[in-house]
Amino acid sequence: MTFNLEVILMTWIVIGILLLFGFLAVKKRGVIPNPMQVVGELFVKNLYDLADDALEEELGKKYGPMICALFLFLWMSNMLGVLPPLGFIPEFSEPTKDLNTPLGLGLMGFFIAHAAGIKEKGIKDYLKVYIEPFAFMLPLNLIGELAKVVSISFRLFGNIMGGSIIILVVSHLTYSILLPPALFGFFGIFVGTIQAFVFTMLTTVYISVQVK
Amino acid sequence: MAIEGADIIKAAGLLGAGLSMGLGAIGPGVGEGMAAAKACEAIGRNPKEAGLLTRTMLVGQAVSESTGIYSLVIALLLLFVV
Amino acid sequence: MNDITMWAEVAAFVGGGLAMGFGAIGAAVGEGYAAASANAAISRNPEVSGEVFKTMLVGQAVAESAAIFALVVAMLLVFANVGENASWMTVTVFLSSGLCMGLGAIGSGVGSGFPAGAACEGTARQPAMGGRLVTNMLIGSAVCQTPAIFALVVSFILMFTNFSDRPVNPTWAAILGAGLASGLGAIGSGLGGGLVAQASCEGVARKPEAAGTLTNVMLLGQAVTQTTAIYGMLVSFILMFKAFDPAGTTLAPAMALLSAGICMGIGAIGPGVGEGFAAQSAVGWIARNENATAELTRTMLVGQAVAESTGIYALVVALVLIFVV
Repeated sequence: MTFNLEVILMTWIVIGILLLFGFLAVKKRGVIPNPMQVVGELFVKNLYDLADDALEEELGKKYGPMICALFLFLWMSNMLGVLPPLGFIPEFSEPTKDLNTPLGLGLMGFFIAHAAGIKEKGIKDYLKVYIEPFAFMLPLNLIGELAKVVSISFRLFGNIMGGSIIILVVSHLTYSILLPPALFGFFGIFVGTIQAFVFTMLTTVYISVQVK
Repeated sequence: MAIEGADIIKAAGLLGAGLSMGLGAIGPGVGEGMAAAKACEAIGRNPKEAGLLTRTMLVGQAVSESTGIYSLVIALLLLFVV
Repeated sequence: MNDITMWAEVAAFVGGGLAMGFGAIGAAVGEGYAAASANAAISRNPEVSGEVFKTMLVGQAVAESAAIFALVVAMLLVFANVGENASWMTVTVFLSSGLCMGLGAIGSGVGSGFPAGAACEGTARQPAMGGRLVTNMLIGSAVCQTPAIFALVVSFILMFTNFSDRPVNPTWAAILGAGLASGLGAIGSGLGGGLVAQASCEGVARKPEAAGTLTNVMLLGQAVTQTTAIYGMLVSFILMFKAFDPAGTTLAPAMALLSAGICMGIGAIGPGVGEGFAAQSAVGWIARNENATAELTRTMLVGQAVAESTGIYALVVALVLIFVV
């Protein structure tokens, strides 16, 4: 068994930054919020709204914190190699660039969604979905369910990997003078944010498909 | 690689079978989808007649399926008879 | 440098070119469609031009994914390390993985442009629903990217699997067939999934209170639309991982495997598009007549199941070609 130390280290850095952010955001809470608290409330409120939207009120409260944490982790991971000032440290790279990170998170979403399905609907109704519309669709339904994990993780991996390849190639072509900063901006920050959001939304949708 | 005549004929038959079924599946697939789309449209306008409309859709699709079945027949002929 | 190493390098470059060349078609068309719709939307309602512009950019960034996947594969191929132990199988692996990713990106690229365009027009029509529209568009176009991701997975497996202990003669055809089955098979499902997402975004703008239902029926329709792409991936996996008997110098066994891949790949295009049409119409009419949601969903599923039948014939013929002939 081998470990990719760089990815593990980068993951821990992301977790550390998020813990620090969370600590600073709640340290001096008040009616007049400090800037950190404003940013934190912005994230939390919008993501909880999304969860409520997809999962109804009660379940939204239950899975909201998980969805919020998932988005913050993915977003920070995608920003690690690109967002200034972190992006200027050459040793930093996105942990999502390694397939293991998206695959692990995709599997986590898969298990959470199915556990939620069994819990909310009961094992009988949960299993009934697999033989609909006909019984011989069972293998297809199973493959379709596994394909969700593959597609959600490769989508994130492919996009982040592709973004960093573009930056690498163009930096070589222009000797790191002119274009790279703009490309950092586009491929790193913009695409990274959208793909983190897409991953989070799809995980939420997969949970809501299972519980309904 | 020495390739003999009979081998080439067999290989061409196999390739032909694949092309026959593959290309032959495009038309019916799109056509049946259009039939289903129109049926959905009609049901959206008049949900009371859903049963009649679904039956009509199925008959129409069965007819447009026939070219797909011809392709399947030709593919199986190429595979097992020729 | 021996002869085969040279040809392997040639194949790597050609494969990289095919991957990026074909892969750029879809995303470019899709993004163009999104921009065209954004222009139409702004001309109708110039006050919300900022909102529409943002929606367009977000939609295009997602539609771009298909081309970015193609870029990843193309770069891996262009900088592939062709060792001294290259064989004719290496040549086909490079060609096949390039073709697979290139063809596979076409459908999803075009398809994910449709919801982006519909969301732009919807923002102009219902500016208050902007956030809900963007969320719906992101889910729809991300799911319609799934066939391109299948192609990405298959071309990665082709590149990183060691085929050197297999008999050269039928395996070269199996490799080529695997790439074509997933690549061609992704075109129809990608396009069809995009049509469904487009109808759903239009529906959210038309009837915002039905947004939840529209998203759910869209996901159901897209899941069925993607089954033919899954058949393609299934055939690819069988072709890549089944051990074939050495065929010596005969051509027929190899041609059967190549033919199986082509059959499943092309055969998946039509049903994928057709099922997309069916679901597009069903989702569109649910937005107009929400009371008929149950009837419409049922008719959509029945219609899609029938439209799928030719795809199942193609799967049967492909499996016969692999296992019986």
